[in-house]
Amino acid sequence: MQRTETRRRPRSRFRNLLPFWLILPTVVVILAIQVYPAFYTVWLSLHQREPKGWEYVGLDNFSRLFRMGIFGESVGHTIVFLIGYTTLTLVLGFIIALLLNRKLKLSGLYITVLFVPWVIADIIVGIVFRLLVVPDYGLLSGILQNPALFPPNGISVLTATRPPSWFGGFPFPPAPAMIYLIMASAWRALPFTTLLLLAAMQTVSNEIIESSRMDGANGWQVVRHILIPLMLPTLVVALFSLTLGGMNGVGMVFSLTGGGPGTSTEVLSYLLYVLGWSQLEFGRAAALALLIAVVNWALILATLRITRVEERNQ
Amino acid sequence: MFRISRRRLDVWMVNIALVIICFFALIPVATTVLISFKGERDIIRKPPNILPCDTPEHAFDPSACRWSVEGYQRVLAPRPGNGLLPFVLTGNIVRIYIPNSFMYAISTALLVVFLSGMSGYAFSRYRFRGHGVMLVGILAILGVPLLTNLLALYHMGVNIRRAQLPFYDDRLFLIAVYTGFFLPLSVWIAKGFFDAIPRELEEAAVIDGCSPFGALLRISMPLALPGLMAIFLLTFVNVWNEFIAGYLLVAKNELKPAMFGLYEFLGQNIINLQVIAAACILIALPIVILFIFARRSFFAAMMEGAIKG
Repeated sequence: MQRTETRRRPRSRFRNLLPFWLILPTVVVILAIQVYPAFYTVWLSLHQREPKGWEYVGLDNFSRLFRMGIFGESVGHTIVFLIGYTTLTLVLGFIIALLLNRKLKLSGLYITVLFVPWVIADIIVGIVFRLLVVPDYGLLSGILQNPALFPPNGISVLTATRPPSWFGGFPFPPAPAMIYLIMASAWRALPFTTLLLLAAMQTVSNEIIESSRMDGANGWQVVRHILIPLMLPTLVVALFSLTLGGMNGVGMVFSLTGGGPGTSTEVLSYLLYVLGWSQLEFGRAAALALLIAVVNWALILATLRITRVEERNQ
Repeated sequence: MFRISRRRLDVWMVNIALVIICFFALIPVATTVLISFKGERDIIRKPPNILPCDTPEHAFDPSACRWSVEGYQRVLAPRPGNGLLPFVLTGNIVRIYIPNSFMYAISTALLVVFLSGMSGYAFSRYRFRGHGVMLVGILAILGVPLLTNLLALYHMGVNIRRAQLPFYDDRLFLIAVYTGFFLPLSVWIAKGFFDAIPRELEEAAVIDGCSPFGALLRISMPLALPGLMAIFLLTFVNVWNEFIAGYLLVAKNELKPAMFGLYEFLGQNIINLQVIAAACILIALPIVILFIFARRSFFAAMMEGAIKG
C-alpha cells in the first residue's frame, strides 16, 4: 500500500499536465492559422498600402467598398444565389431523404451512387457542368440553343446576359448562367443535405407516423404536420450550413462561369478574389472579408445555439 | 388472382423514383466520361452528338463508334523511355501536379490525425480548466470557412517568404494552412470516437502498472484506429479537393497542387473538351474509388462531425 503511494506521486503530476501537452499543439496550430489571421484581417481592413508602407486610414476602406457599384450588385447576386441554392437543395434533399427513409433492400446502393458528387471537388463539378453548356459544342447546348425549343434565339448559358431587372437595381430575374450555377451547386450539396435530413428523419419515431396514419392523415399531412415540425431544428441547421457554404464557396464560380458573362454571376466570395488578387486592393478586400466573416459568425453562433437548445431538450 | 398488395406497389414506386434520381445524379459524370473518350472530330460538331456512333446512313450504328483516347494521350503525354516502363508520362498534370497533391494530402492527413488524436483523447478523458470553453471554441472555429482568412494568410506567407528563413518553403506554409483549417472538425470527430471507448479499459491498464501515456498508446489508440482512419481519409479527400488556398498561396509551378493545375489546364484547352474531361477524370478517379471502397469510414466520420457541427 505504502509503495503504491510513493510511486504514484510523480506520476500524478505528469498526469495533471498530460492533457495540457496533448492539447498544446492543436491550440498553437489553431491560433496561428485561424485566430491570428482573423485579427490580421481586421488590421488590414483599417490600413491602406502606400508606396512607403501601410498607412492607417480608419474606416475609409469600408466606405470606399460601399461606394463601389459592383459591391451592391454582388450583394444582390449573392442573395439571389443563396435563396435559389438553399431552397432547391433543401426541397430536393427532403424528397430524396423521404424516399430513402423507407427500408429498401437497395438503400445502400442508392446512397453510394447519390454520394459520388460529394467527393468530387467543387472545381471539377464546375468544369463538368461547364462542358455541358460550352457554346455550340456542349451536349446541353444542343438543346438549350435550339430556337425552336427556346424562342426567340435559344439560350446560350455561358454568354447570355441578365435580362432587364424587375426591381430597380436588384439583379432579378437572374442570368441563365446564375440559374445554372445554382443547379450545379445544389447538385454537389445534395448528398450532404440528404444525409443530414435522413438522419433527423430516422429519429422521428415510426409510432407517431403510424398512429396519425390510422387517424386518416394522408402522406402530405404527415409531412406537413409531423415531419417538418419535428425536424425543424435540423432543417434550420441545414439551411444555415448551406448558406455558410454558399457564401464562401468560390471554386464553382471560378471554373463554371468565372463571374461572367459580364458580372452576372459575380458573388461576394468571387468579388473578394477580384479585389484582393486581381486589383490588389488589399484594404478593401480585407474590409469585404471582414463583412463576410461577420455574416459567417452570426450563422455559426445561431447554429450553435440551436444545437445546444436541442441537446438540452433531449 | 394476380394482385399486388398496395405496400408492394409502394415499394416499387419508391425504387423507381430513386433509380430515376440516381440516373439524373450521374448524368454529369457519365457525360464527362463520354466526352473524354471522343475524338476531336466528334467534339467540334454542330449540333453535338451524345454518342460518336452515327454514320451518314444510320443515326446509331454500334459498329461504327469512333471512340478515342486522344484526350488521355494529350493529358498524359507519354514518350518512349527506358526506365522500368517502356514509356514515361510527361504531362504536367501527372508528372507534377498529382504527385504534389498526393504529398500535400498525405502530410496534412498524417499531421491532422496525430494532432487531433492527441487533443481528442485529452478532451474525451480529462476535465481541466477551460475544457468546455475550448471545446465550444473549437466547435465554433470548425464552421469558419477558409475564404475570409485567406487574404491575411496570403500576406503572412509573403512576409515569411521575405524573411528568407532556412528550410522554409511554400509547401510547409500550405500544409500548415490545411492542417489548421481541417484540424477543428477532426478534433471533434476524434473526441466522439474516444468517447465511445469505455474508460474502464484504460483504468484497468493503469492499475496493472501501465503509465497513462502508455495506456493511451497501447489500449486506446488501437481501439480508436478505425476512427483515426476515418479522419485520415476525410482530411485526405478534403485537401485533395481544395482549390482556392492552393491557388492563392502557391506561386511556383513545380509546387502547384492538382486542382490548380487543372484550373490552368481549363484556360489552355478552351475548345478541346475531350482533353479537359480526361484531366478531370484522372484527378477525380482516385478519390471516387477511395470513397466507394471506404464509404463506411466516410459516413462514420461525417455523422460524427455532422451531429455536432
